[in-house]
Amino acid sequence: MEHEADTDDSASALRPLVTDVSARQYIRSVWARRDFAFALPFEELRTSHLDTFLGNIWHLGNPMFTAGVYYMIFGVFLGANKGIDNYIVWLIIGVFSYQLTSATILGGASSIASRQGLMRSFRFPRAIVPISSTIGKLLSYGFQLGVIAVAAFASGVAPSRRWLLLPAVLLVHTAFNLGGAFIAARLNDGFRDVQQLIPFVLRLAQYMSGVMFSIDRILGRKGWVDTLVLMNPMVSIIDFYRWMILGTPVRPGPAVLSVFLAGAVLVFGFRFFVAAEHRYGKP
Amino acid sequence: MNPLSVRVRDLHVEYEVFTERRAGLRQRMVTGKGSGRRVVHALKGVSFDVRKGDAVGVIGSNGSGKSTALLALAGLLPPTSGEILVAAEPKLLGVGAALIGGATGLRNIRLGCLALGMTSEELDDRIEEIVAFTELGEAIERPLKTYSSGMRARLHFAISTAVQPEILLIDEALAVGDRAFRQKSRERIENMLANAGTLMLVSHSMEEITRLCNRGIWIEKGVLRADGPVKDVIAEYTAASNATP
Repeated sequence: MEHEADTDDSASALRPLVTDVSARQYIRSVWARRDFAFALPFEELRTSHLDTFLGNIWHLGNPMFTAGVYYMIFGVFLGANKGIDNYIVWLIIGVFSYQLTSATILGGASSIASRQGLMRSFRFPRAIVPISSTIGKLLSYGFQLGVIAVAAFASGVAPSRRWLLLPAVLLVHTAFNLGGAFIAARLNDGFRDVQQLIPFVLRLAQYMSGVMFSIDRILGRKGWVDTLVLMNPMVSIIDFYRWMILGTPVRPGPAVLSVFLAGAVLVFGFRFFVAAEHRYGKP
Repeated sequence: MNPLSVRVRDLHVEYEVFTERRAGLRQRMVTGKGSGRRVVHALKGVSFDVRKGDAVGVIGSNGSGKSTALLALAGLLPPTSGEILVAAEPKLLGVGAALIGGATGLRNIRLGCLALGMTSEELDDRIEEIVAFTELGEAIERPLKTYSSGMRARLHFAISTAVQPEILLIDEALAVGDRAFRQKSRERIENMLANAGTLMLVSHSMEEITRLCNRGIWIEKGVLRADGPVKDVIAEYTAASNATP
């Protein structure tokens, strides 16, 4: 077909529909849609449990039952509570904060597939999808932090100035989780089987993160194994929460490293996700 | 001649579908590929220009690639190759638009407008006017999943045109509306065209296309068959579809 309009002046006023944008421009476009990124999980949360009998109570019920099961197995039967003061609070801090990480990564993995309809209807930076799913998990975590605070008070823990550091700890934790969600989202979009594998990885990592029993129990075998175990940012992140609330010690080296690793996971995850931006939403 | 608003050059869209169960690992290792995997070549090198003030009716039989072309133009489906140039961000109005079914119509309007890039402040100023345009009355407080297709079309049309788009793409979304809604949406579209806007309309109603469009594009099996004044293209299309029933 001939197009005499190829020499048309007005063609120079056109721009390509799909362009490669810099990371800075991309982040700016995500920021411009921040209200959307927040509204989406809010609406989801409002409607998700409407049809179950106890409704939104399950946002609290689920992690509390999980903590109850771990208390039975690890506290009562296996004696993992020996040498740990206030084991119940110590345990729920670990369980709730680790569950936030695993729920965020799993949610990230399924987010692109479950938002297919939305992505076929509206054009927006696709990073919004895993970001809003991460915000959704943080919203329910807010209630769980309330439960931790109540349990801490009830067991005689006095409020401390350390609690003021919560935003900083949350920031590190969320950076790590969001980075993980980005990576899982892209991997799962490429190979749908990833979603089936992630729970096993997360479960193994849970036993290596000092959630139900002290990490000391798996340390002391070989020097380099110990180093690897302590490099897991979740060990330090959970230690931060316990230090804030219970005053238990934090290992300085791994703690500093975890902050850098969390940042690195976020930066890598974001770049990894955005590199496939134009692929998400294909039928 | 009016300035250009859309230029499409040699647009190809391919995607993979799995027609049957995915091949098992053993089979993949033996044959090196999955059994039920097929590549659909939905658009095979389509080129056209659209100018400001143009209203283009896109016609063709089911599965010809019309909807794929609109999705690609809206930036929602990445092209395999080819070039799409635009003067502004096109907005697509389709029947299958999905938001959150469990949330009320009102909340879905908010979400949709935010998804299109409105800020909360702008939305607070505009929301009443958008809701009024839908004329959904009390149904606006009902969950979206209880809506009929016509009610959904009203909702989505109101969202997509809340900020007057420069380039509006409509995929069959008007046909499900009732008379009053079609009248209302037509007025809004004509207003947009008078302001140097551009419309591309996929429809199987030749009457609707004749009424709204000045130009026609006929796509068949992923290839552009005709492009010209709407009456001529429709005549060509009708003759061809009568010849091969």
